[in-house]
Amino acid sequence: MGILNVPNFAQGHLYMVAAYLGFYMVMSYGMNYWLALVLATVALGVFGLVIYGLVFHRMRNAPEVNLFVAAMALLMVLEGIALYFFGASTKWFLIPFTRRVITFIGLALPVQRLIIIVGTLVVMVLLELFIKKTAVGAALEATAQHREGAMLCGIKVTRISAMAFIIGTGLAGIAGMLIGPAVLLEPTMGMGPLLVAFSAIIFGGLGSVGGAVLGAFILGLVESLASGYVSAKYSLIFVFGIMILMLLFRPKGLFGREVWRP
Amino acid sequence: MEAIRTVFSPKAVVWILVLIAAVAVPPIVGGYVTSMLILIAIWTIMCFSMNLIFGYTGQLSLGHSAFLGIAAYTFGLITVKLHVGFWPAFFIAIVFTGLVGFLVGIPALKLRGPYFILVTLGFAVIVGVIVLGWIDLTGGANGLFGIPRPNPIPLPGGATLRFDSLLSMYYFILFFVVLIGVFCHRLVHSLIGKRFIAISYNENLTESLGINTMSQKLLSFTISAILAGIAGVLYATYNAVISPELTHFARGMDVVAYLIVGGAGTMAGPIVGTLVLMAVPEVLQVLPYLKTLINGIILMLFILFLPNGIIGWFNANLGRRFTSRRAVHGSA
Amino acid sequence: MALLEVAGLTKMFGGLTAVSELNFDIQPGELLSIIGPNGAGKTTLFNLLTGFYRPTSGTITFNDIDITGCKPYQVTRHGIGRTFQLTSIFKKSTVLENVLIGKSLHAAVGVWGSVLRTPATRREEQKIRKKAREILAFVGLGDKEDKVAGGLTEEAQKRLSISMALATDPKLLLLDEPTGGVNLEEISGLIELVGKIRKSGTSICLIEHKMRMVMTISDRIVVLNYGKKIAEGAPKEVASNNEVIRAYLGERYAA
Repeated sequence: MGILNVPNFAQGHLYMVAAYLGFYMVMSYGMNYWLALVLATVALGVFGLVIYGLVFHRMRNAPEVNLFVAAMALLMVLEGIALYFFGASTKWFLIPFTRRVITFIGLALPVQRLIIIVGTLVVMVLLELFIKKTAVGAALEATAQHREGAMLCGIKVTRISAMAFIIGTGLAGIAGMLIGPAVLLEPTMGMGPLLVAFSAIIFGGLGSVGGAVLGAFILGLVESLASGYVSAKYSLIFVFGIMILMLLFRPKGLFGREVWRP
Repeated sequence: MEAIRTVFSPKAVVWILVLIAAVAVPPIVGGYVTSMLILIAIWTIMCFSMNLIFGYTGQLSLGHSAFLGIAAYTFGLITVKLHVGFWPAFFIAIVFTGLVGFLVGIPALKLRGPYFILVTLGFAVIVGVIVLGWIDLTGGANGLFGIPRPNPIPLPGGATLRFDSLLSMYYFILFFVVLIGVFCHRLVHSLIGKRFIAISYNENLTESLGINTMSQKLLSFTISAILAGIAGVLYATYNAVISPELTHFARGMDVVAYLIVGGAGTMAGPIVGTLVLMAVPEVLQVLPYLKTLINGIILMLFILFLPNGIIGWFNANLGRRFTSRRAVHGSA
Repeated sequence: MALLEVAGLTKMFGGLTAVSELNFDIQPGELLSIIGPNGAGKTTLFNLLTGFYRPTSGTITFNDIDITGCKPYQVTRHGIGRTFQLTSIFKKSTVLENVLIGKSLHAAVGVWGSVLRTPATRREEQKIRKKAREILAFVGLGDKEDKVAGGLTEEAQKRLSISMALATDPKLLLLDEPTGGVNLEEISGLIELVGKIRKSGTSICLIEHKMRMVMTISDRIVVLNYGKKIAEGAPKEVASNNEVIRAYLGERYAA
């Protein structure tokens, strides 16, 4: 079920936040769906910029752990705000598509799911093109691989990091809007997809976008199968189980690159 | 000689005063405050646990709430359903938790940084899912009831030590806080502790010096899991009721907040942080659902401006007064 | 019998070959220098030898034991010690503590012993501390044991990193540019230290750029260029080798 995966770019900045923000935007109902989607993405991008400026930029020289703690703090703040404004009860995000089902060669396909799949594919393709074909994309890759080296090449690392972060939050916005109508809304809904997303990244291999996507599909499949055959409650366990097995036997993942060790 | 000098150093005097206050205050202030203090004490133990693996060994684990939960549920289940005695159950619960910690640590510690954090988080989520879902075993969302207090202990001279009262539970738990505090202090100042700290500073360098960093990290992780387990059992026996909420990773994040605000990598940090972040909201009568929000905001402010926490700031600025020895190597 | 034997050692990073088919050995008691232009693969070689990188192919034999693919701590326990190009010390700790960590691999201490402060543990800790002090004295930092490591001069920090490696009791010490960032007067002090270490029985393998130093103190030299060995032998031989001169053409070293 095409879980939108956010690849790990510059410095492992935290997409825990991003998934969270995704949820947030899902609450903006009352608008045309597609318009809302665009707005959500933009809003999240802007939010990402603000967060980057206020928090992560200041901490760019701090130990990596501290960045994570900051992201964690952000998560707590967002959850708290969400709880306050929206309450702990779950909500439905209703739009014209939610209940509609298309029948296609005898299969009942929920429209929203289709939208998710198509949307994911489109975004993936765009992202891949962006990274591989544009100069900025190349700069992103370079920074992810070796920050100091990139600096020496004249790449404005700060701007690139900000951009990576903003792309991340923007993507989260898209994810939120795509997936929101398909699932229940509650303040902690970001956690599940986030964990699966990271499992997918680890599974597919650090640094490889294609691998992460492949990982996402495989794990999504596993989760669905597990939900169907075993029990929905425990499906997450299978997903993690596979990730843990992968870690034990092949820590680099399927397509991972060698880790740079100074 | 050295011992006497240490006992009377300014730092030791402060600790002794704190201990005296901890012992003397509860009988004076009555039930509400005492029950608050009990909870603070339990979470302080949790904080010591996090301090060991995060503050001193540099690995941030968001999974320790699971260890607390596992220990609490193991203890609860075998006392309630299998009618095992208090102390054997305590022991079994803790050993089991330590074992789980060990097994989880093996794959998890192969990862560094954010990936390790994610995996431990995932572990906490999984445990949460299991505890919630396995209704036959754990009672699911309804929780587990009827967990007993410690058995009365016969004392020499005919009297028995009973644990029915709030005050008695407080001292019981305080005993563990002190025990664990001393344990951590000794461990951290020993050669093994120095290895942990070295790992937290530069894992590659430490490994190049011949130290099997994996085994040391595993040791730290397992011990911290056990400590978290102790907190879990103590919570279970105090509260008599436990619910899956205990294992929720948000609890783990709260503890990290306590630790950072107090000062990771110091001995006084966990105590100060837990005290401040748990007591202040109570004093200000803050609504419970705002707690996460407030913790998050405070944590954000601290990590941006005071990443070494309250005690860390203390050490840096007033260090000359309170550091009785030269140690800059991660001590209070 | 060679102390260290490297055969067919190759390391590729994706499409980039960092080190290719290296063959050389180090005899006990000698000082071998590895030189070559920047990017020739010297530090990569050290990383391979100490287990930080896994070779793509080839073998590394130390003291007749195959250590190819061993983890870094295992390599150190076999007897190879190492310093890093970027001075690697624990900047926030004191000088003594730095060396204590280095020595701690030999400490027979356990959790219970440490927590209960048993006499055995205390004795062990005393022993380790004493040895650490000896090493500091040997290296010339004896009077600085309580100073915070980050506050030392560059040269003292280099000495400290060497003392940490020495604490692991190595039979072979790999020094990666020990005189990097050190000024001219201080260099002779470091050279003296290296000589002292040799005399105490440890073999040394040195990566250096300062030619005069290399020529003076080395028994043998191995020259790398683009990951391949292009020359090997005594200093005079290597200095007059055409390949070597071509590799260094246009560059002059003032050392």
